[in-house]
Amino acid sequence: MKGKFDIDVLVASPSTITNRRVQRAMPDYAKMKKPDVKLVVLGDLNVGKTSLLHRYTERKFKDTISTVGGAFFLKQWGPYNISIWDTAGREQFHGLGSLYCRGAAAVILTYDVTNWQSLAELEDRFLYLTDTANSDCIFAIVGNKADLTDPRALVAEPEEEEGGDEKEGVPWANPSPTAPPMFRKQVFREDAVALYSRILRYKLLDEAASMPAERMCFETSAKTGYNVDLLFETLFDMVLPSILRKKSQNESPTVDLEECLEVNRTKDGCCT
Amino acid sequence: MSVKAFELVPAVERDLLMGDKARINIECIECCGKHLYVGTNDCFIHHFLLEEHTTPKGKLAFSAQKLLHKYLGLKKPVNELKAASALERLIVLCDNTVTVVDMVNLEAVSSGGARIKGVVSFCVNENPVTGDPFCVELGVIAAKRRTVQIYMVYEDRVQLVKEVSTPEQPCAVCLDGYFLCLALSTQYMILNYNTGASQDLFPYDSEEKKPIVKRIGREEFLLAAPGGLGMFATAEGVSQRAPVNWSESVIGAAVCFPYVVALDEGFVTVHSMLDQQLKQTLSFRDGNILQDFEGKVVLASTKAVYVLVPLPLERQIQDLLAGRRVEEALTLAEGARRNIPKDKFQIMHRRILQQAGFIQFGQLQFLEAKEHFRKGQLDVRELISLYPLLLPSSSSFTRCHPPLHEFADLNHLAQGDQEKVQRCKLFLISYLREVRSTEVANGCREDVDTALLKLYAEANHESLLDLLASENACLLADSAPWLEKHHKYFALGLLYRYHSQDDAALQLWVRVVNGDLQDSTRSDLYEYIVDFLSFCPNLDLVWKYAEWALQKDQKVGVQIFTRRAVSDDQAGHLNPDTVIEYLLKYQQAIVLYLEHLVLDRRVQKEKFHTHLAVVYLDKVLGLLPQSPTTTQQVTEAREQLQNLLKESNLYRVQLLLDKLQDTELLLERATLHGKLEEHDKALHILVHQLKDFPVAEGYCMWASASRDQDYQQRLFHLLLGVYLDSDAPGDEHTMAAVDLLNRHAGMFDATHVLRLLPEGWSLQLLRPFLSGALRGAMHARRTSQVALGLAGAENLLLKHDRLKYRGGPVFVSEKKGCQLCHNTFTEPDCVCLPGGVPVHTHCAAQRARDSPRKRQSTNPSNHT
Repeated sequence: MKGKFDIDVLVASPSTITNRRVQRAMPDYAKMKKPDVKLVVLGDLNVGKTSLLHRYTERKFKDTISTVGGAFFLKQWGPYNISIWDTAGREQFHGLGSLYCRGAAAVILTYDVTNWQSLAELEDRFLYLTDTANSDCIFAIVGNKADLTDPRALVAEPEEEEGGDEKEGVPWANPSPTAPPMFRKQVFREDAVALYSRILRYKLLDEAASMPAERMCFETSAKTGYNVDLLFETLFDMVLPSILRKKSQNESPTVDLEECLEVNRTKDGCCT
Repeated sequence: MSVKAFELVPAVERDLLMGDKARINIECIECCGKHLYVGTNDCFIHHFLLEEHTTPKGKLAFSAQKLLHKYLGLKKPVNELKAASALERLIVLCDNTVTVVDMVNLEAVSSGGARIKGVVSFCVNENPVTGDPFCVELGVIAAKRRTVQIYMVYEDRVQLVKEVSTPEQPCAVCLDGYFLCLALSTQYMILNYNTGASQDLFPYDSEEKKPIVKRIGREEFLLAAPGGLGMFATAEGVSQRAPVNWSESVIGAAVCFPYVVALDEGFVTVHSMLDQQLKQTLSFRDGNILQDFEGKVVLASTKAVYVLVPLPLERQIQDLLAGRRVEEALTLAEGARRNIPKDKFQIMHRRILQQAGFIQFGQLQFLEAKEHFRKGQLDVRELISLYPLLLPSSSSFTRCHPPLHEFADLNHLAQGDQEKVQRCKLFLISYLREVRSTEVANGCREDVDTALLKLYAEANHESLLDLLASENACLLADSAPWLEKHHKYFALGLLYRYHSQDDAALQLWVRVVNGDLQDSTRSDLYEYIVDFLSFCPNLDLVWKYAEWALQKDQKVGVQIFTRRAVSDDQAGHLNPDTVIEYLLKYQQAIVLYLEHLVLDRRVQKEKFHTHLAVVYLDKVLGLLPQSPTTTQQVTEAREQLQNLLKESNLYRVQLLLDKLQDTELLLERATLHGKLEEHDKALHILVHQLKDFPVAEGYCMWASASRDQDYQQRLFHLLLGVYLDSDAPGDEHTMAAVDLLNRHAGMFDATHVLRLLPEGWSLQLLRPFLSGALRGAMHARRTSQVALGLAGAENLLLKHDRLKYRGGPVFVSEKKGCQLCHNTFTEPDCVCLPGGVPVHTHCAAQRARDSPRKRQSTNPSNHT
C-alpha cells in the first residue's frame, strides 16, 4: 500500500533520542486535559503527515505505517493545550475528514513536492472537508519531502544530533548537500501560493484580511527536520487569538463542574 | 502488547438454556443486577439469577440458577430485551412489537396500552432530560419509512411524545439527552429531537455492513466506521479521541472504562480509550452478542452466555509494571482518576509513580526515574536503603510494604556489574543533592545528609568539603567511622568542628600533619590549622596547640597570634604581654610578633619598642662576629634596626646606647645620639669615626625633618663646624666641607660661614656656594621688598576705608544742642549716634541704660 516515494520504510536506523524537549518522556496529566484548540493535518496518502508530527513531537524520523483512521497528539504550548490531529490519507477513511475538521482552528494541507497529483488532490478532495472547520480557521500549505529536491533541506537543523545516522538510510548515492537530487521537483512554491489564494477565494475570505501567502506556505522535510518546528510554532502562535476568544466566550453561564470542585467543597460548611 | 484486562468467565452453559436442541439460538440478552434475561429465536425469555463467587483457586466464577422461562406465544424470535428496574418491567421487542412485561413473573402487563407496534429497533435513553424516575424514555425506529419516535414507558402504559423524520431510513439508534445518534443507510448523524437540528457525522454503508451505535458516556458515542474503525463522536459532531482499529468483521462493541471491547468472528479485542492501543485479544468463536450492562460486559455465542470480568485496576497496573511497561501503567492509572475518590487515587497514583521510578531506575534511566520519584513524592530513604550501609544505623526507616521494587539492594540490581553500581551511586549523589534542600527531605534530613556524606567520601567527591562546611545534618556517630575508613580525616575534622568539637578536630588534623594519619585532601593542612587557631575563640585550645605549631615552624606558627583580629571582645582577646612572655622561647616568632605589634599595629608602648629594638640589636650583634658570608644578612638586620631606631620615638635610648657603647655600630649610635639631641656627638661619630659624609648630610636632613629652618641651619652649621674642626684637619674634611657648602647653599647663613672659613680658600672653590648664597640673599631681599610694598599698599587701602566710614567732621559748638537732652555742649567730648548726630556722652549712656535691648549695640566706643 506504500506508494512509489516510499522512502519511509527504508530508514530503520535506531537513533538516539535527543534530550532536548523530550515530549515523549512522561504521559502527563495534560493527556487527560481538555484541549483548548485543534489543528488538523490533511493530505493525500504518503505525503508524510504522520512523519511531520513524529518529527515535531519526538524529534526523530522513524518508520511509519499507513495511518488507520486518525491519531492525535497533545502539545503543551504555554498555558494552553493544543491538539494536533493526524488524519489518514487513504481514500477509505476520507469520509471521516469532516468530523476531524469540525471546530478546527487551523488546517495544515500537506502535499509532496515531488508529486504534482498530491497538490491537486488537496483542492479536489480535501478542501471541502474543511467546511466544518471554524469560520476563522487558518490554512497552511506544506510541501513535505523537500530534502528530496532541495539541497538546503538536507542540512539537518542544528539540534538534530541523529541527523548523521539517518543519512545512512537515505536512498540516494551521495548524501552530501551539493549532490544533485534524484527527484524532480514537481510542485514549486508559486503553485502552493496560487493554491493558497484559491483557498481564500473558496472560503470567501478577503485576501487582504487573511494571513499572507508567503507566511502560510512552507516547504519542509520531516526527515531532516527542515522547517518543521517553524511550521508548527508559527501556527501555534497564530491560533492563540482563537484560543483567547474561545476562553472569553466560555466565561459564560455554563458551569464547569470539574473546575468548581474545589469551591464546592469549601462551601460545605455553610450548608448545615 | 497484551495486558490482561478481562477474564472470560462462563455464566450460563448451553445445557441450561436449550439442552441439545440444535436449532435454538440466543437472540438477545439483558442483565440487570443479578438478573439475566435471555431471549431466544423460539420466542422464549429465560430468566436466570447469576451469583458471583470465588473458587478455591481464587478465581471468580458464576453460577446461574434458572428462575423462569416464558414463551411469548409467537413463532418469532425475541429481538431485544431491556430492563427498566425502577418500574420492575422488562421491555421486549418481538415480531416488530414492543411489549412490557413484569420483570419477575414475565407476565405481560394487563392493559393493552403497554404496546408499541411497528418497531424495527429501539433503545433506552440512559441520560433522559426528564427527571421522572418512574418512566423510561425509548427511542424507536419505526417500521414506517424514515421516522424515529420517542416514547415514554410507564409502569402500565406507553406514550408517544415525539416523532421526527430522518433524511434516510435509520437502522440503528442510540439516545442521550435530546440527542439521537442514528445510523442511516449511507451515513451516521446526530439529531436533536427537541430542536430538530441535525449534524452529519460521516458516511457509512449500512447495507454492506451492520452499523454499530453505542453510547459511551455523556453526549459521546462510539460508531463503527469504514475500514473497521471504532470512531468516537460527540453530540456536537466532533471527535475527541482517536479512533480504535477493529477488524473489518466487527459485530458488536461494548465499553468498560477505560477499555473498548469489540467482538468479531473469531476474537474479542480490547482497546484502551486512553492510548487507542490494542491491549488484549481473546479467542472467541461463534460470538453473537457483546453488550455492557452497568459496567458488566456480557458476551454470548448462539448457545451460551459468558461474562467478561474486568480485572481490578490495580492488578492491571501491577501487571503492566511487572512487564516494565511504565508508561502504559501510568496512562491507565491517570485515566482512572475520575473513577476513584481523590484521596484514594492520590495514594495509588503516588505508589505507581514510585514503582515506575524504581523500574526505570533499575534500567538506569535515571532522568525518567528522577521525574517519577519527584512526582510520586518518594520517601528518599526508600532509594537510599537500596545502597548498602548508607542509611545511618540510628535511622528509624523501614522499607514500605508491600515493596516498591524487586531489588534487595544495589548489588542485586547491578548483578555484580561495578560500572552499573558506580552509575547508580552517581545518580544518588545528584538526586540527594537536589532534594536535600527541598521539603522531600523533611523529617529525614539526617539520613539524607549522612548518606550524601558517605557517598561523597567513597567517591572522593570534591563536594564533600562543601557539604561539611555549609549547614548540614550529618550524624557524627555514624559518619565518623565511615570517614575514617575512607581516610577523610580532614573532612572528619570539619565534621567535628561543625559539631563544636574543635578539640577533636584539631587532634585529628595534628595527627595528619605529623604523618600519623594519611589524608592528602589538603597539602597545606598545617597552615590551615594555624589559620584555624588564629580565629579560634577558645583560648585554651589556642594555648594547647600553639606550642605544637610553633615548634613545627615559628614563622608560620606565630600567625596564630599575629593574624588574630584585634577585638574588644573579652572572650577572644589575647594580652600581648602574655603572648610575648610565652613566645620568649621562640626567637623567630617573638621577632615576628613584636614586629606585628610595633610596625603593623603601631602599638605605642615603650616596652614593645624597646624590646624589639633590643631583639634587633641582639640579632645584629649575634651576626657580626660571624664569617663574612653573612654580610647580606647583617646588612638586612642592620637596616631593620636602623629603621626602627629612626622611626620610633618610644624606645629607651639610653639603654640601647649603653648596649652599643663598645660596638662597631656607628650609624646606630649616631642615630641614638640624635634621638637624645646630642647632635655634635652624633656628627662626630659620623664624620670622624664612620667617615661617611653623605650619611652625615643625610643625618642632618633626618634630624631636622619636621623642625623649623633655624634648627636645620643649626645642624648644618654644626656639621660644617665638625668638618672644619682644626683639631683633626685633613683634606677629605675640607673637601667634604666644600661639597656640603656647595650642595646646600641655602641651608647656611652665608655671612656666618664666611667668617668661619679659612682665609686661604679660593673663590673658585666656593663659587657655587657663594653664588647660591648671593642668589638666596638677593631673593630674600627682593621678596621682603615686595612684601613691604604689598603691606604698604594694604595699609593705604585700610586707611582709605577708615576715612570713608568716618564721614565728614562732626561739629560741636556751644550753639548746638544735644538731641537727647537739648542742652548745649560745654565740652568737646561727645558721642555720635548712627547718622552722625552728636549727643552728650552721659546722655548716650543714659539712653543705653534705659533700653536694655539696645545695650549691646550702643557701645559708645563704636561711634566715637
